[in-house]
Amino acid sequence: MPYLKAENLTFSYGEETIFQNFTLSVSEGERVALKGRSGIGKSTLFKLILGFERPQSGTLYFRDEPIAGSRIRHIRGETAWLPQDLNMGNGAVRDVIERPLNFRRNRERQPNKEALHSLMDSLGLTSALLTKSWAQLSTGQRQRMGIVVCLLLNKPLLLLDEPTSALDRTSREKLRDLLFADRKRTILSTSHDDFWLKLCDRTIDLDQKRIQP
Amino acid sequence: MDIIELSWPRLLIAFLALLIPAYIFWKFETGLNRKLLLGSLRMTLQLLFVGYYLEYLFEYDNSWVNLAWIMVMVIVADFATIDRSELNPKISLILPIFGATFLGILMINFFFLELVIQLPTFLGAQYAIPITGMVLGNCLQSNVIGINDFYYNLRQNRERYQFYLAAGATRAEALFPFYQSALKKSANPTLATMATIGLVSLPGMMTGQILSGTSPMIAIQYQIMIMLAIFTGTILSVYLGINFSNRFVFHNNDMLDESILKEES
Repeated sequence: MPYLKAENLTFSYGEETIFQNFTLSVSEGERVALKGRSGIGKSTLFKLILGFERPQSGTLYFRDEPIAGSRIRHIRGETAWLPQDLNMGNGAVRDVIERPLNFRRNRERQPNKEALHSLMDSLGLTSALLTKSWAQLSTGQRQRMGIVVCLLLNKPLLLLDEPTSALDRTSREKLRDLLFADRKRTILSTSHDDFWLKLCDRTIDLDQKRIQP
Repeated sequence: MDIIELSWPRLLIAFLALLIPAYIFWKFETGLNRKLLLGSLRMTLQLLFVGYYLEYLFEYDNSWVNLAWIMVMVIVADFATIDRSELNPKISLILPIFGATFLGILMINFFFLELVIQLPTFLGAQYAIPITGMVLGNCLQSNVIGINDFYYNLRQNRERYQFYLAAGATRAEALFPFYQSALKKSANPTLATMATIGLVSLPGMMTGQILSGTSPMIAIQYQIMIMLAIFTGTILSVYLGINFSNRFVFHNNDMLDESILKEES
């Protein structure tokens, strides 16, 4: 049984068709990378999976059940999503990071403070950043903070948009160790980074998919 | 203390004061004199109409008629809120904001008129109409600030909202920071007024009472109560307004129906 499946998915933004009869199947525990030129629909696919956008036709399945109606909230409960540029407005960094941990569904995953600090440290982030406003962080710091939240949430499905684009070699290796330790965790990511692409079990080239729907 | 009655001829003399701003507007070619003329005329006619109407209301003093008049005031405030906000006038906003403002005003009136002042008649006109007017006037401004901030902030920071939803938040949990911001922005003007009242400004209601012969201490007691009613009323109406509207302006995938917002420029 596929963990995540897209069947004949068609989606357009106005006149622009992003997906035409797109099909995808991901097994539980699989690490799949999506690559392709900018605007091909890599990030849109995540938004479709999370129910933020609705396909014009076709169906997405999570554990063999269509992602629609109340099932949208079910998949969101199992997911952590890292957008490419995480814009969280002017909120305080600590608040932005800790708020998701206190959501009713996530309370049992509540990590201790040491986990937060050691994760930040692993990704080259100092604790002093917690007292800053999110808007004061650089793009790279935002992205790494987003990864920290995803790791703290400890969800079985991760949707990561270019997770290594702001990381140096050492941080990328640490991220690999942190993310890939749990063999059951399913990771769907977008990337142009060869280091990351080699770590994944499979790479799907969306440029090719478009030509051969 | 005897009240000096303000006769109509004397009130006409008061209008002469407007010649000063009119001259300044003319000198600097602001083009505002037509607006000044129309504004003064409207203000005078509207207040005269309300004056005659209130005289009738006070004389008749029927709770149901008073309630009907309060409802008219809320309907006008509702349309003025949508008009002054940058939201599109859709039924999914007009009805919830009306319901929220009406419920908020009823709660304020019940608490302050019936429990605090303990009026002998339910919604007595002499108290209910002016106090409702004072509270509604302030609710209007706060509603515009709060509701605008909530929905435009949500569009501007859509990714923050989506990030929280994707992390397992319920809609209410994901909207929490947007409530925070809207409540702060709508409370600030009234909080600032409360902090300086009496020192920087003397409020209109208190001044009016003193001028019409009430002792300053009674006027101040009423003013304190009015400020409490205004603050409670504004926060209540902003909170209820957003809450009621939220039931109609989200799709079932938790995404905002952005047709309620004006186009992004």
